[in-house]
This record gives sequence, structure tokens and C-alpha cells, in this order.
Amino acid sequence: MSSVIKQREPSRLPSKTDAELDRISNLPGHVIDQILSRLPIRDAVRSSVLSRKWRYKWATIPCLVFDNQCFDVSSQDQTFIKNKLVNIIDHVLLLHNGSIHKFKLSHRDLLGVTDIDRWILCISRSSIKEFVLEIWKGQRYKPPSCLFSCQSLIHLELFNCLLKPPLTFRGFKNLKSLDLQHITITQDVFEKLISSCPSLERLTLMNFTGVTHLVIDAPNLQFFDIGGIFEDVSFLNTFHLALVSIGLYVNIDNDENDARDNSSKLLRFFVNLPHIRRLEIQSYFLKYLAMGYVPSRLPNPCVDLNHLSIRIDFDDLDENTAALCLLRSCPNLQELEMLARPEEQASMERSTNFWEDDHWSSLFAHLRMVKVLGISGVKSEMDFIKFLLSNSPVLEQLTVKPVSQEGEWELMKELLRFRRASIYAEIIYLDP
Amino acid sequence: MSEVDMAVIKPEMMKSYIWLQTADGSIQQVEQEVAMFCPMICHEVIQKGMGSSKNYAISLPQRVNPAMLSLILDYCRFHQVPGRSNKERKSFDEKFIRMDTKRLCELTSAADSLQLKPLVDLTSRALARIIEGKSPEEIREIFHLPDDLTEEEKLEPLKNTTDDPRIRLLNRLYAKKRKELKERQKLKNVEVEEERVDDRSVDDLLSFINGDNGDSKGIKTSKSKKKNRRRKDQQKNTSANEVLKTHNKELNGLNSVCCSAEVGQKSRGGVGATSNLNDVEDDIFTSKNELDDGDIDDEIDPALKEKIDREVEDFARRLNSDWPERMQEILSFGHERKPVHFSLNGNGSLRRYANSEQR
Repeated sequence: MSSVIKQREPSRLPSKTDAELDRISNLPGHVIDQILSRLPIRDAVRSSVLSRKWRYKWATIPCLVFDNQCFDVSSQDQTFIKNKLVNIIDHVLLLHNGSIHKFKLSHRDLLGVTDIDRWILCISRSSIKEFVLEIWKGQRYKPPSCLFSCQSLIHLELFNCLLKPPLTFRGFKNLKSLDLQHITITQDVFEKLISSCPSLERLTLMNFTGVTHLVIDAPNLQFFDIGGIFEDVSFLNTFHLALVSIGLYVNIDNDENDARDNSSKLLRFFVNLPHIRRLEIQSYFLKYLAMGYVPSRLPNPCVDLNHLSIRIDFDDLDENTAALCLLRSCPNLQELEMLARPEEQASMERSTNFWEDDHWSSLFAHLRMVKVLGISGVKSEMDFIKFLLSNSPVLEQLTVKPVSQEGEWELMKELLRFRRASIYAEIIYLDP
Repeated sequence: MSEVDMAVIKPEMMKSYIWLQTADGSIQQVEQEVAMFCPMICHEVIQKGMGSSKNYAISLPQRVNPAMLSLILDYCRFHQVPGRSNKERKSFDEKFIRMDTKRLCELTSAADSLQLKPLVDLTSRALARIIEGKSPEEIREIFHLPDDLTEEEKLEPLKNTTDDPRIRLLNRLYAKKRKELKERQKLKNVEVEEERVDDRSVDDLLSFINGDNGDSKGIKTSKSKKKNRRRKDQQKNTSANEVLKTHNKELNGLNSVCCSAEVGQKSRGGVGATSNLNDVEDDIFTSKNELDDGDIDDEIDPALKEKIDREVEDFARRLNSDWPERMQEILSFGHERKPVHFSLNGNGSLRRYANSEQR
């Protein structure tokens, strides 16, 4: 025991060879910053005990991440955790010396406390480039107005927040990536936010409250991922948009809308997406697209579209029509994914084959990979697969996965029988 | 050979080479596309026209020795080929990075001087992986860092997340020792006390406390300080200030000078210029470790206080002897002291907790 304690006394004479062997302490500051930035904040700050030279090396790290790894005391006492976390962050911010480029706060026990306001103020003075705030539980947190004055922001990510920028807010000039999930924001603020960030390239929006009409006016937008409840989506000025993933999380009732508006949602949707490369239509969004008039094919084919994923109810005629229109409008499609939507009530099985082979042999000229998942072996689904197999001359893989074990054998037997246009086609059957 | 001649010959050669010279004077030629992968070399070639012949070899920065250069060129040779998949590159990187720590540091330095950012990223990641999760002692050993922080700086409390009574008592010990050091420091400043180098072991210190009462001012004041302790639960700082206040009075109004020049250390309470060490001990996550339970001041009646103090000193002695034997002793004493603080935590052995024990 005593020997261990003695070890903690400083060695009066650091050996010469030690100084030669120490290669790390004299690395340039920005390199040390890089190394320390890659450590969890605990380890980074702990480096201050290593030696004289290391005492303040951690204080210039540009990247501060406070997450669940921060401290490993799990406790049920909310105030205890809160005090501890607040303490830690207060101290780190105070002792930090230099600009902070990345700040992430995402601790599962942290509620939207007013201390966060203080931290955001501190950071807003520091030319912050990436800001991530995740409030895991509790009420929606409203970030203070100083957050909206951080013009150096390039990436902003908020979870469980209420966005209400000050009236003087003029947008984030440098913002390239915006990720908002579980947020509350009004229609006006949303539109203003999007249109006033001219450099925006990526937009993720999930589970939002307060916006019903998604108007996306973003000239540099390339990536768009949205999931929530809305009534309308329209793209203005989105010439470069290449990746779109949209999920409408509410089942819309088509009959309601018939009287009002017969314009084609489908046409409107694609009119400003000339260069779309990857499209994912999730949840009930296909139903939305099927509203109004659906042409047999789009006037301008999506020549760049090479990956398409659709959540579809094979028994719904409107949805099938919309899907067919889409399939006819992407001549260069390489990957296709059809996900069967599990419907609450079983719709009546149609006796007619919607996917009757109409000699569309040039339909899937480049299609190589197909996945059809979540099917139950009903006629409409099998009709589609049959149609697919006989019209894809360069198909390499078809992956089929049923939703349950019921009727597996029948399904497989049918699959076996289908004609295949491609001699290279493999049919891969995955267990449910 | 003049440069014109070189220019004529070049088209006939399948590859063009760039000449590089390392700090030790040795010159070598490297395929152009490989060498140009390094921004610094690229700059030299394009902006200054260097490197085309042996006489005009590009002098590389001092941090790039021949061994490192060869490694760097291996890296460049692989990565400059455009057709490689991400998977291939990743797998190469992972194998490439396997080397001893010393070389890794040298490589980082060399890559940085050549501005080869991807390689610097790779090596920093590897170094971070080595550092992550290790205790300071381990890190010092791996990187040969001198252990040169002064005792004062190092006497930070240990983390006591499991509320281990042993750690609690040990921390009390440290607190005592810290106070002592501080007092001595102050006394030094006023040139009242004689020079004293504190490299006594904990044992000596405690025997001092127990036995020699009338000697130094420092010890005396620490003892009298005990009387003025207040309980603190979470407000450790305010009571620490209280203690210092009393202490100040006893030293005839000597103001404690903030000796540690900690940049930006928050001093709570604002009692004069309090030394930051004490205040910092519990809450500052940054400096060293967290202290959950560093109660140095308890609001308890004197009798109980003395009992606890005795236990503290006793415990310190135990640090240097065997645990089980002592346990017997305690139990046999029975009424005199209630061994409330000595509940064994499941493991009967007394381990010396290093700084970063709790993970």
C-alpha cells in the first residue's frame, strides 16, 4: 500500500531518456486537439492529470460532446443527476479556452432546464459550427434567441424542441444541414426558416407539430427526409434534390378530398424534382400521391431515378395505379423495393389482375435488384411479382419475404412457377 | 544533367519521379503520382518547380525521417489508386495502423508536417483509441510521460461513486494533507515558517497529527479547524470557505493567497482569495475526478467528531497493514468504537483505488 502512495509523489528527477521517449506531448496543438476530440469528454479532460505539459491541452478541443457517457452514475434521483450534469458542463465551459466548433448535448436524464439557455449563450459567442441538442424526455424545450444568431452554424440538430426564433431572425446563411425531430414550429416560421437558409443541402424533419403544408423552397437542397403528419407537400425551386424520403404517418381518406381538388398530386410532386435519384415513399404517402388525377405516366420521365422504394397496399386500386405510373416513368431504375402495407381490414380481393402483362417489355430495362417484403401471398401481390419477373430482362436478384409463416408453402410453390425474363435472376426467399 | 535534358528524357520513361531529401541528407526518388498525394510535396512541385532532379530535390521537414517517409509513401501508394473501394481502403488502414505507439506518434508528426490530413486523421484516431479508458498511470507508462505534477496538484480526491467508506476516509486524509500543504504555503509567503519540503509519507503525517501536538503552527491550526467544522451536504464549498475563514482568523488575519494560477477556476463563496484546490475538490469534474462524498466538514457534536477523527487516523495506519487482522482488532474493541464506517463491501481486501477506478 505504502509503495503505491509513494508513487504519487512527483519524481524529482525526470530521466533524460523519458524526455526523449515522450513523442506525443510535443505534437502540434491542432493534432493534440484532434486526438483529444476523439475521446469521450471524460477521458479528454482527464488528460490534464498526465503531466505538466498536459494540464491544459484539453482546454482547446474544438468539440464538446456531453452524452450518456459523461458519467456513469445511474441514479433515480432526478435532481442529483441534473445537478451533476449541470455542474460538469458549467465547469467544462468555463475552463474551456478557445473556440468551440461542435457542441452536442444529449443525455437521457437531462430535462429542458434553463441552464441550457446559459450554455447556448456561451456557445453562441464561439463561432459554433455544429450544434446538436437532444432533450430525451419532458416538455419541448425552447432554445433561446441567441441560438438563432449563430451565423457560423453549418449543422443544426434539435430533438424535442419548440422553435420560436426572434422577429429579427434572418436565417442561417451558412447552414447546410438541418435535422429537426419531435419539434413544434408554426407554419410561417417553418417556411421562413427553410427559405432563409440558402445553403441548405440536407433537411430532415420528423414528427413535427404545427406545420400542415410543407413548402420547400431551397435551391441547394440535395437530401430531404420527412416523416410526419401533413396535408400537402410542394417543392419550389429544388432543382438539385436527389434523395427524397417521405412518410405520411396518417391514413388519409380519399373520398373526402375528391370533391375539393382534382389536381394531380403526383404531377405536382414531381414537377420540381427533375434530378431525383433516390425516392422512398413510406407509410401512407402513396395514398396521398394517388389523390386526384393520375396519369399513365409522367410527362417528364425521371431519368436519374435509380432507386425506388414504395410502401403499397396491393389491393388498393388507386395506389396500384399511382405505382404503375411511377414505374413507367423511371426508365433507368436499377433497384426497386415494394413493401406491403399491413392493412387493418382485409380489403376485398380483386379477381382481375391489375398487373396484366401489357407487353411493357421495355419497362424494366435496367432493373437488377428487387425486394418485395411483407407480403402474405394474396393474389394481387403474386400478380405483381409475376409481372415483375417476366418484364425484367437483366434482373439479378429478387428477394421475397413474407409477413408471417401462414401460407408460406403456397407462396413458394407459386413463386417457383413464374416465368423469368432474366436467366441470371435469383429468387431469394427470406424467412419471416 | 540540365533540366532541359530531363524534360526530353521524361516522355520516354514510363513513370516520372520526384526527388525528395530528408533532414538527414539522404535523397531518394519516388513515383510522381505517389509523392503528389502529399499536399506539401504537391505544393513544392507545382508552385516552386522543385523535385525534378537530384540537385533540386525537395527538402522535407525535419519531422520526416526516412523510416517515416517510407511508411507515408506506402500509405500514399495505396490510396492514390482511384479504383479502390471504401472497404479495401478501410481494411488497408486498419492493418497499416498496427505499429507501436512510439512510431505512431512519429508518424502522426510526419504526416502533419506533410499536410497529409487523411493520414493524420487515421493516426489520431488510433492514438485516441489507445488513450481511451485508461488510467493516467497507464497512459503515462505507454507514452513515457513524466509524472511531474506537484503534490498539491495531484492531491485531488478520489471518485467515490459507490460511497465506499474507505474511499471516503481516504479522501478525508487527503483533504487534511491538502490543508496542511496550503497552510505551509501561506506561511512560507509570510516568511514566518521555516522551509519545509513535504515528502513525508502519509504515515509520518498522521503520526505527527497523533503524537506531536505542540510543534508546528500548521498542525495546530489544522486541529483547531476541526472544531469549527460545519455539516455540509452538497454545499461543500461554502463550508470550506467557512473553514478557511476561521483559519484565517487564527493566523492573525493572514489572507490566503490564491496560489494556484488556475486559469478560470471558479472560486465559490468569495472569501478573500480562497485557494481553489479545496473548492474544486468535489465538484470540478474537469481537473481530475469527481468526488461524490468528500465531506470534510460535518456538523456533528465534538465527541462523535473525535471518534471519527480517531477512526480516520486509525484507518490511515491500516493502509499500510493487513486488513483482516485489523478487522479482528476493531471487532474486539466493541463498545469503544462502533465500526459503522467499516462495513466491508463484499470484497474483503483493501484495494488502493486509483484515480480512474470507477468506470
